[in-house]
Amino acid sequence: MPIRLPGALKGRSALLIPAFLLLLRFGLILSPLSPWLRDDHQLASPLTSFTRLKEGVWLFQNGIDPYHGGVFRHSPLTLALFSTVIPPIPLVSAFVWTAADGISAWSLLEIWRARISPKTDPAGGLMLASLYLANPYNFAPTIALSTSSLDNSLLLLALRFTVLQRASPAVLLLALLSFSSLPSVLLLAPLVMIILSGSRSATTIPEIDLKKAVRVVAEFAVYMAAFVGASTFVAGSWGWVLQTWGATVMLPDLTPNPGLWWYFFTEMFDHYRPFFLLTFSLHPLIYVAPICLKFQHDPLFAFFLLQGIISTFKSYPTLSDAGLYVSLIGLFPELYPYFRHPLVTGLLHLHAAVLLPLFHYLWLDAGTGNANFFYASTLVFGLANGATIVDSLWAGLRSTIGEKEGWDVVQL
Amino acid sequence: MFARIPTGLLALLLLLLSGLTNPSYVLASSQAEQQAAAFFSPPQEHTNNWAVLVCASRYWFNYRHMANTLGMYRTVKRLGIPDSNIILMLADDAACNTRNHFPATVFANADRKLDLYGENIEVDYRGYEVTVENFIRLLTGRVSPTLPRSKRLLTDSRSNVFVYMTGHGGNEFLKFQDNEEISAFDIADAFEQMWQKRRYNELLFMVDTCQANTMYSKFYSPNILATGSSELKENSYSHHNDADIGVAVIDSFTHYILQYMEGQNKTSKATMKDLFDTYDPARIKSHAGVRSDLYPRPLDQVRITDFLGAVSKVDVLPSDGRPVGAPEEIEEPLQVAEEVVLPLPTAESSSERVVMEPRPTGAEPLSVDQPVVFQGEKKSTLRAWGAAGAVLALVAWRLSAAS
Repeated sequence: MPIRLPGALKGRSALLIPAFLLLLRFGLILSPLSPWLRDDHQLASPLTSFTRLKEGVWLFQNGIDPYHGGVFRHSPLTLALFSTVIPPIPLVSAFVWTAADGISAWSLLEIWRARISPKTDPAGGLMLASLYLANPYNFAPTIALSTSSLDNSLLLLALRFTVLQRASPAVLLLALLSFSSLPSVLLLAPLVMIILSGSRSATTIPEIDLKKAVRVVAEFAVYMAAFVGASTFVAGSWGWVLQTWGATVMLPDLTPNPGLWWYFFTEMFDHYRPFFLLTFSLHPLIYVAPICLKFQHDPLFAFFLLQGIISTFKSYPTLSDAGLYVSLIGLFPELYPYFRHPLVTGLLHLHAAVLLPLFHYLWLDAGTGNANFFYASTLVFGLANGATIVDSLWAGLRSTIGEKEGWDVVQL
Repeated sequence: MFARIPTGLLALLLLLLSGLTNPSYVLASSQAEQQAAAFFSPPQEHTNNWAVLVCASRYWFNYRHMANTLGMYRTVKRLGIPDSNIILMLADDAACNTRNHFPATVFANADRKLDLYGENIEVDYRGYEVTVENFIRLLTGRVSPTLPRSKRLLTDSRSNVFVYMTGHGGNEFLKFQDNEEISAFDIADAFEQMWQKRRYNELLFMVDTCQANTMYSKFYSPNILATGSSELKENSYSHHNDADIGVAVIDSFTHYILQYMEGQNKTSKATMKDLFDTYDPARIKSHAGVRSDLYPRPLDQVRITDFLGAVSKVDVLPSDGRPVGAPEEIEEPLQVAEEVVLPLPTAESSSERVVMEPRPTGAEPLSVDQPVVFQGEKKSTLRAWGAAGAVLALVAWRLSAAS
């Protein structure tokens, strides 16, 4: 049920808004705001920080293995890219990050067009793209030059190719993404489902071409292997595996971030650590099968939900993970009437958005608070994300029942 | 799709195999390793100063030893070492001694113009706490866990330590409080323990006793500069008496050193060589000696304030309107010279002292905006280019393919 978004934009003039937002980004990255935000704990995790990237590039260019210490945790492919094609200097970085956000917005637009016919809602896609760019959850990490913005671009671009039924680029980009963000591997399942059955919601369970599915997964495996080989070639040894993927699983770096892992593991006794690392890492796995099975009719929605789960339960999240997830809600306007507590969820997000930087400042700058304050705000943030997932799930299930004139849907 | 394996994919598979089978490509060049090692442990400059001032005598007739030590205490405090970095060991029985005609004072000069006891001295070890055991424990750091912080020598590997000892001594020994002795071997071993535990960067050992030069004859640890007041079989003499106090108020060697130091302040660039050049056996009435064979730097390049003062080094950076909180583009402290060896920070080229000198020219700090070019690290760049090129080619190929 398409909803006409308020203030629908028409025609060419509508492109001015995303263009302006991109230019604003470019300008702000080159301003003094960017260095100030660069190491902010909410915007840049140990896996995505630009400062660490620069350090790793410098070490690499001096013949020192950047994976010997615990500082550099980006993938070797990122290392190769930033030590050759994209030198980490301000002007080039500004261009790259702005372009990445532009690609994200464009991909979002294309996905929207594939999902919702432009005839029923001509300007909604551009509105969605503009909202993505304007969302502070996405805006701030880009200004901070956090590579999580680049991860978002990769994800949205992969999704774009998926909804256009182009399997090869889709799994290629997903393989590339999984080097920066290991939990995103779980998105392969809904991705394959979208490739097989399309991006729109179906009324019947679609037939699955198993052979094609196996081919797509095999292609993904080949790309992964190729990238692993290329990474080892760049890094010179296998040490990168423990430092990058290993970091996601073993949590060696307890730098504060908006996630749910770090505080838990700061106060953990060593002999419980392996057990809890195991449970926390395997936790997102249990959602893959149920969500994909329940939403066989609408695999894009399954993708959306799984992305939400990954964002919430990641080991080193940043605000851009939540930003991506929240922006994807716009692809499913049919959910809007069925949200049960949108106000609560929205307010939780607002609370978290205000409390996270506030308590971070109180704890680490002013010194009048302590870590528990910030931890509490990460709990609120996790609750906000969780509430979004749960409400979307409910709305998704409810929307399949639909409406019928003169009939009421009741719960027995 | 897999019926025909495209050539590009084949090339990638070969790349993969080569990555898996070849041994490690990291042959960290010794040049770059040296450079990184030099960055993390550069030729040392000290970052903080400590002083250990020991008066090993007690009783009224050893008033001059108390005055020696308090004079040194006043000098090092005046030149900037804070009380927290000074360990003062005194018997402290002179100022309030019943025989003191001027109670609560200690003077080092018969004119009695400068009261060294004053209102603001902090004695860390007083009275019967000044023992050989405490002294050696202090130096080596092997103290009881309950010992208060003010009594500990909390030096680190970048501390310059000034150790001054005065009292009655002899051939390779020093008498502690009329009760026990410390030998030159003990002090040498304590300093060696300090060296092994990285508890000093450089150490100046000054001793004013009879036959003082024998006290430093047994040192064997690096970075120690030592000076003493008299040779073997020579006595050290007091300088003058005060008729009203009734005892000698200062020793000769220390008197002339303090007199010289009165002419110095924190900005003084006088070197240790200047100080040692003022030693005049005729004036001091004994042959003061210097031992510098364990000391790496030439004495005319070592400032007195390196030991007797605490002069902070200040890095003055160009003001170009950057906000206070912005850390980036001001760092990159690593100076890259063409010859890939870090220039040793000498006294001239090091960063500024309290006096504002113009920033030395030479290797500018490498800013992020300049491309980083190093000789001899082509292999990793080639690897990066190869991998980046392969990955980008693969991405471009698959994105443009029809499927």
